[in-house]
Amino acid sequence: MYKKAGLIFLLSMALYGENQWMTDKEAIESSDVYMRNCIPCHEYLPSTLERMFMSYLKVYSGEFTVKESLKAYLRNPDRDMSVMSELFLDRFGIKYKTDLSEQELEEAVNIYWNKFNVRNKLK
Amino acid sequence: MLVSKSRDTSLLRSSEKQSLTRFLSLYIFLVIILVVLLSTFYYQSQEQLMLSNQRTILSAYADKQVKNLKILHHYFPTRSEYPRDQHYESAIYDIERVLIFSTLKHPTIDFEHEIYRTGNKIHFMRYLDEYYLGAKYLFIEIDEDRDWYRETLIQIVVLGGVTIFILGIFGLFFVRLFLRPMRQSIELLDNFIKDTTHELNTPISAILANVEMMDQSIMAPRNLKKLSRINVAAKTVSHLYQDLTYLVLGHQTQSHDEWVDLQELIKSRVEYFTVLAHSKHIGFELQLEKKKIFMDSAKIARVIDNLISNAIKYNKRYGKIKILLTEEYFMVADTGIGIEKEKIPGMFDRYSRFNESEGGFGIGLNIVKNIIEEYHCDIEVDSVVNQGTTITVYFNQGAKRV
Repeated sequence: MYKKAGLIFLLSMALYGENQWMTDKEAIESSDVYMRNCIPCHEYLPSTLERMFMSYLKVYSGEFTVKESLKAYLRNPDRDMSVMSELFLDRFGIKYKTDLSEQELEEAVNIYWNKFNVRNKLK
Repeated sequence: MLVSKSRDTSLLRSSEKQSLTRFLSLYIFLVIILVVLLSTFYYQSQEQLMLSNQRTILSAYADKQVKNLKILHHYFPTRSEYPRDQHYESAIYDIERVLIFSTLKHPTIDFEHEIYRTGNKIHFMRYLDEYYLGAKYLFIEIDEDRDWYRETLIQIVVLGGVTIFILGIFGLFFVRLFLRPMRQSIELLDNFIKDTTHELNTPISAILANVEMMDQSIMAPRNLKKLSRINVAAKTVSHLYQDLTYLVLGHQTQSHDEWVDLQELIKSRVEYFTVLAHSKHIGFELQLEKKKIFMDSAKIARVIDNLISNAIKYNKRYGKIKILLTEEYFMVADTGIGIEKEKIPGMFDRYSRFNESEGGFGIGLNIVKNIIEEYHCDIEVDSVVNQGTTITVYFNQGAKRV
């Protein structure tokens, strides 16, 4: 009796887990290019995307310069071009060259800028 | 054209005055330009001095604000309140000169100057080496102390005014110095006339008296004609002598005003000039109303004589002279050569003549003008070249009259 009940519970959990996995996958597929291509890797890094944005802002200042430098780096990642610290680069290295199309890259960078831009957040 | 309405007691002739006025106007204009330029430089130097004095404090404020921005950058977005200070306002712009955030009261921004005035504020710009929050340009704004402005303005007005005044005095001195040769030549001519006048009296009087005394009834017509010519010539010289006498002595003596019957006086003067007029076959047309005026008879006679004399002198042969006398005015119109309108104001100057072809010293109308002004009358000249000239003397309506 106990064995049967335990089996039913495990089967139920397994089915729930499968349904849950389907839901996350669908969510990622239906989200924007930034969510699909940036978040998955960066969520495992100690420095958040927001801090990286602030580093870009500190070096490149304006919207055009930030976006252009970001795109240039993503197309051809280079240690010398990176805004991250030596310590970070030693630990995590530099990313692989992006395989996003120009349009996708443009869209991702625009989303990134709009998400973390400081202008509308200062009070 | 109304030539004169006011009495002019100055010794300067109108041409001399004109030169004086033109030179002084140009001189004062240049002095004002110089003062304005110097004032502008002085104002700018004072402004720069004031800004230099403010630079130190503004630089300290900028350092403080950069430090605050650095802290905010580090803690953003946990902290998102833009750093404010009671002593100053500030704004940050990115490298593309796009505004990131501002608390400035006066939003006009100049990226080309480190420190400048705008409205009643002073702006100070600082470039950031590290672009905290994306800011490359930091602007600090403080209220302007207006004391320097008021002090500078007062200094400019006072010093500028004194400079213009002193240089104006110098200008007046210089212009008198430059005009001295012209004045001396006029004085020389005056003295010459004065000296020669004394020598004219006796011979002219003798000629006229002897012509009058001659018994013309027994003279042959050919001699009568010659005598008439002598009479005309003598009267012309006599008229000139009287003008010169007036010029040299007349204006220095006291006027003996009395009631003068103008109608009778004009008639007698016309009769006097008839011989002269007939020599050019000029006829008179008189329309004379009864009019008495309270004036020096010698002076009004000089006015009438000179106007009639000119009307004869500048008339054409077989021309006409119309003389009109009313309660308000006395008019002499000729059918002569006329004068251009632009030359009319100068015709009353001493030693100026209608043209060089006629004789004379050019003193007749100057005497007329002086007498007219002395009695506060007005004189009006209307002339058409080759048609004639009309000169009208308006009596002073406030003067005693019958």
